[in-house]
Amino acid sequence: MRLTSGGREVSILNDISLDVPAKQFVAIVGPSGSGKSTLLGLIAGMDQPTSGTISLEGQEITSLSEDELARLRRRKIGYVFQSFHLIPTLTAQENVAVPLELAGDPEAVSKANALLRAVGLGSRLHHYPAQLSGGEQQRVSVARAFANNPAILLADEPTGNLDTATGEQVIELLIRLNRDHGSTLVLVTHDPALAAHAERIVCLRDGRIISDELQQRVPGARP
Amino acid sequence: MTTFAFRMAWRETRAAWRHFTYFFICIALGVAALVGVGLFAANMERAIQRETRSLMAADVELRTTRTLTPEAEAILRGFDGRGIARMHLSELVAMAAVRTGTQLVELKAVEPGYPFYGKLRAEPEQALAALFTGNNVLAEETLLIRLNLKVGDTLKIGRAEFRVAGLLKKEPDRAAGAFSFGPRLLMSQQGLAATQLIQPGSRVTHRHLLKLPETLSPRAVQAELSATFPDKTVRVSTYQEAQPMLRRFLRQLTMYLGLAGLIALMVGGIGVASSVRAFLNEKLETIAVLKAVGAESRTILLVYLTQTLLLGLLGSLAGAALGAGLQLFLPPLMKTWLPIELEFRFALLPFVRGVAMGLLTTALFALWPLLDVRHVRPNLIFRRDVTEEPPKSAGRSAWVASGLLALALAGLALWQAGSWRAAGLFIGALIAALSLLRGAAWMVARLASRLPRWRPLAWRQGLANLYRPGNQVKTILVSVGVGVMVILAIHLVERNILWEIGENIPTDAPSFFFIDIQPDQQEAFARLLAERGHAEARLTPLIRSRLWALNGQPISRENYEEREHGWYFTREYVLTFLKDLPKDNVVTKGDWWNAVESSREPQVSVEEEAARRLGLELGSTVEFDIQGAKVSGRVASIRKVEWGNMSTNFYFIFQLGALDGAPMTYVATARVDPSEEVPLQRAVIAAFPNVSAINIRDVLDSVARVVDRISLVIRFMAGLSILAGTIVLAGALAATRFRRIYEAMILKAVGATRGDVAQTFAVEYALLGAAAGVIGTALAVALAWGVGHWILDVKWLFQPEALAWGIGGTIMGTILVGLLSTYRILGQKPLPVLRRE
Repeated sequence: MRLTSGGREVSILNDISLDVPAKQFVAIVGPSGSGKSTLLGLIAGMDQPTSGTISLEGQEITSLSEDELARLRRRKIGYVFQSFHLIPTLTAQENVAVPLELAGDPEAVSKANALLRAVGLGSRLHHYPAQLSGGEQQRVSVARAFANNPAILLADEPTGNLDTATGEQVIELLIRLNRDHGSTLVLVTHDPALAAHAERIVCLRDGRIISDELQQRVPGARP
Repeated sequence: MTTFAFRMAWRETRAAWRHFTYFFICIALGVAALVGVGLFAANMERAIQRETRSLMAADVELRTTRTLTPEAEAILRGFDGRGIARMHLSELVAMAAVRTGTQLVELKAVEPGYPFYGKLRAEPEQALAALFTGNNVLAEETLLIRLNLKVGDTLKIGRAEFRVAGLLKKEPDRAAGAFSFGPRLLMSQQGLAATQLIQPGSRVTHRHLLKLPETLSPRAVQAELSATFPDKTVRVSTYQEAQPMLRRFLRQLTMYLGLAGLIALMVGGIGVASSVRAFLNEKLETIAVLKAVGAESRTILLVYLTQTLLLGLLGSLAGAALGAGLQLFLPPLMKTWLPIELEFRFALLPFVRGVAMGLLTTALFALWPLLDVRHVRPNLIFRRDVTEEPPKSAGRSAWVASGLLALALAGLALWQAGSWRAAGLFIGALIAALSLLRGAAWMVARLASRLPRWRPLAWRQGLANLYRPGNQVKTILVSVGVGVMVILAIHLVERNILWEIGENIPTDAPSFFFIDIQPDQQEAFARLLAERGHAEARLTPLIRSRLWALNGQPISRENYEEREHGWYFTREYVLTFLKDLPKDNVVTKGDWWNAVESSREPQVSVEEEAARRLGLELGSTVEFDIQGAKVSGRVASIRKVEWGNMSTNFYFIFQLGALDGAPMTYVATARVDPSEEVPLQRAVIAAFPNVSAINIRDVLDSVARVVDRISLVIRFMAGLSILAGTIVLAGALAATRFRRIYEAMILKAVGATRGDVAQTFAVEYALLGAAAGVIGTALAVALAWGVGHWILDVKWLFQPEALAWGIGGTIMGTILVGLLSTYRILGQKPLPVLRRE
C-alpha cells in the first residue's frame, strides 16, 4: 500500500497478508504510524490499495467501484472512528438512522431508538453531537456501527479520544454488542490493555506484520 | 510595519488562490460591465460630436410642418446675400405602388447640393448624379425586397412614375429614431411636386437647411431667426442640437445600462464579502498564531486589508480590460440606432471610474468580515470549533468607515447615472432589495429549523444545511435573488409594454388607417370603402394646429419652459369636429353638446390629462392657430380617453361647424381581413394616389421590434449580474467545501453511494434556489410594477408563466451550478479525509 502525501509517495503498508475467519475478535496493535488505521480503512474499502487484494466473505473488493463499495459497507460493515465522525447537523437518533435509511429500512427510526437505548442513550435521542460528551458521542457512533447488523465490525482506536474510564465503558459496550450480534470484530489500538480483550493480536510495525498470535484466554474476558 | 503587511499579504495570497479566484472574478465582472458601458458612452458621445454637422447636414435648420408664408420666405431670401447657402427638404410618409403591391415609405425630397455636410452614399455611385435628372429615385434595399423590384425598375408615388436609379446606402441626417413607418425613398423636390402628394393639411415636415460661412456663428443666426421670424411655430436649431431625440435616447439607454452594470458590481461585492469571510475562517489559526507571537490587531488587519485591496485592484484592472473587450459586443447590439460609425478609442475617465468603483466596492464589502480579525484571541489555537463564537459588535469605527465608503459609492453611482433622481431611485431600490433579501434569508434559516424533519435522509440533511452555523444562505439568497430580480423585472416590463401596445387591442379596433384624404375625395372614398364591404369604416376630419392662447393669454416661453410636461404647450394638436361623443370616451366634467344647440362661441371638449397640464377648466377659452388663422373655443366638457383602443383619439374636439373652412384632411379607419389587405390597398392607390394606407399591424410590429431590441441590450448587461450571481453562488459553496467533504465522507463511510450524497446536495440547492427564486421573483414583480406604474405608465399584466419560469429556472440553475461546483467532492475517498480530521 502506498499513499501519496505532499507530492511524495510514501509506502504505508508492505507485504501484508492477513486472514480473519468469521466471528473472530482480532486486535491490531502497533506504534503510531505503523499503518494500523490504513489497514482497517482498506478492509472497509474506504481507500484503494496501490497493489494487492482484499476479500470480504469471499468477495474481492479491490476491483469494486466507489458506489459498489458504499453499498457493501452499508450491508456488511460497521465502523467506529477514533474521532467519532458524527454528522453535526443531525441528532443522535438521526445519526444512527442514517445507515438504516440508506439501506431503505422503513423502521429506521424505531430501530435507531432501540440501538441508542441499548448503548444507554435512551434519554439523549434528540441531542446534537455538540450537546453530547465525548463518551456519549462514541456510544452513538457504536450504535450507528451496529445499525445494519453488520457481519464485520471495524473499530479504529475507539477509545483514543476518551479518558480511561469512559474508554473502558465504550470498549465493554463494543465487545458486548459484538458478542450479541455474532459479528467479526477488528479493533485497532495502540493500547495493549485493550488488545488483551481479543482472541488474536496482530502486531504491525513500519507497515509490516511482525507478530500474529492467538490468545489463550476465553474471548472477551478481562485480563 | 507596512513592509511587513505587504510581505505577509503576498504570502497569504500565494497560499489561498482558490478563494481569491472567485473574489477576483466577482470584482472583474462588475468593473467590466461599468467600464464597458462607460467606454461605449464615451465613444458614442465623441462620434456624435465628431459628426455632429452631418447629423443635421447643415449648420442651422428651420423645421416646420407648414409651407412658409411669403414674409418668412422673404427673410430667408435675405440670407442669400450674406454668403449663406440654403435648401429645402421635405419629409413625409407616402405609398409606393407597383403592379403587384404597395408599400408605405418614408419619402424625402431634396435639392441639388444635398447634403451640406456628411456623405450621401448610393450604389452604384453614379446614381447620385441621376437623382436630379428625370424621374429618378434612390431607395433603401428593404423597399426593393418588399416590392420585389430591382435597380432600374419603376414604381408609382402619388401621381407620378419613378425609376429606381440605385440603392440608398447612407444618409447622414436620417432621423435615427428606432421607429420608422417604412423604408426610405429619396427623390428631388421636382419629383415630389410631380407626385402632387402635398395638399393642404398633408402631414409633411419641411426642413430648411442653412450653411453658414466661417465668419457667421450658428448661434448668432439662430438667435437672429428666433427674434425676427414671423412664424413662431418654426423650430430653429443649430447643429449642436441635432438629433435631440437620438441623443436623449442614447443617454438614457447608457444610463440604464450603467445602472445594470452597477448591480453586477454590487452582486460581485457580496461575493467579495463571502470570499473574505471564508478565507479568514480558514486563517483563524494563522491569526491566532500571529497574535501569540506579538502582532497587534491593527497590524493583522492591515495585512489582510492590504491583501484584499491589492486583489481588488488587480480584479478591477482585469475587469477594465474586459470592459474594453465588451466594445466588441455593445456597438453591434445598438447598431440600429447609430447613424454613425463608432471607432473604438480608449477613454481614461470611464476606466478610472470603473477601477475606483471596483476598489471602493471591495473595501466596502470586505471591511465587515475583516474587522472580525480584531476579535480573534490567541488561545484559539487550542480550540478547533470556532464558528459557534457569538458575533461581536463591530464597533463605532466600523460603522463610520462603512458609512463613508457607502457614501463614496453612492457618489460614484450618481456620477455614473448622471442624474440625482435616477441615482437616488437606484440606490433606494438596491438598499431595499438587499435588506429584503437579507431579511428573507434570516426567515428562511428560521423556517428551515422549524420545518418537519421528514424521513428521507437527503431532505433532512439538505434542510439542516440551511440553518447550521456558518451556512451561506444569506450570501446565496442575496446574490442569486438580485440577479433573478433584475433579469425577470426587465422581462416583465418588456412583456407588459408589448402586451399594452400589441395584444391589449380590442377586437373591434381598426386594422387600417388611411391618411391624407382630401375633403373633395371624402365622399368618393367613403363610397369605395362601402362598396368593398367596409360599412363600419369611419372618416374623421383632421385639422392640424398649434396652441395660440389660453384664456386670452398668448402662449409664451414662460408657460412651458422649465416645466416637465412643457410639450403640452408646444406640440402640434390635431383637431376634429364631431356631433357625437366618440366611442371609449367618457365625459368626466361638463356636458357633451347636443346637436341643435348653437352658441355664440364654439364649444370644445378637452381630454382630461391635457386639461390638467394646460390648466383648463370648464368655461376656459382656448385658441388655436390653424395655418395662420385663429380659432377659439370655450371648454364645455372634459373627457377621459381610452388611448389604447387604437382608434383616432383627440385631445381637443370642436363642435360641428366650428372649424368650417379650415384646411383639413380626412382619416379613415377600417377593419380589414388579412385576405382583403392587398386588394383594398391596391384599389385605394389606384383611385386616390395621394392617400397612404397604414397597416396597424406593421406599425405595432415595428414598435415591438424596437422594444425587443432595447430589452435585448439591457438584458445583455443584466446578464452580467446573473453571471456574477452564479460566481458568488459557486464561491459560497466552495467556502463550505471542507465541511461538505467531511460530511460526505462520513456518509460514504456508513454506506452512502455518490448518488445518495449528490441527492442531499441537490435538496439543499433546490431549497436555496426555491427561496431565491420566490423572493427574487416577488421583488421583480414589485420592481416591474413600480416601473410600469410610475415611469412607463403601462397597465399591469399578471404573467403567471413568466413567474413560474423565474422560480423554476432559478431552482434548476442553482442545482446545476451547485452540483457542478461540488461534484468533485463525491469522488473523494473517505479514509484520507476522515483521518485528517
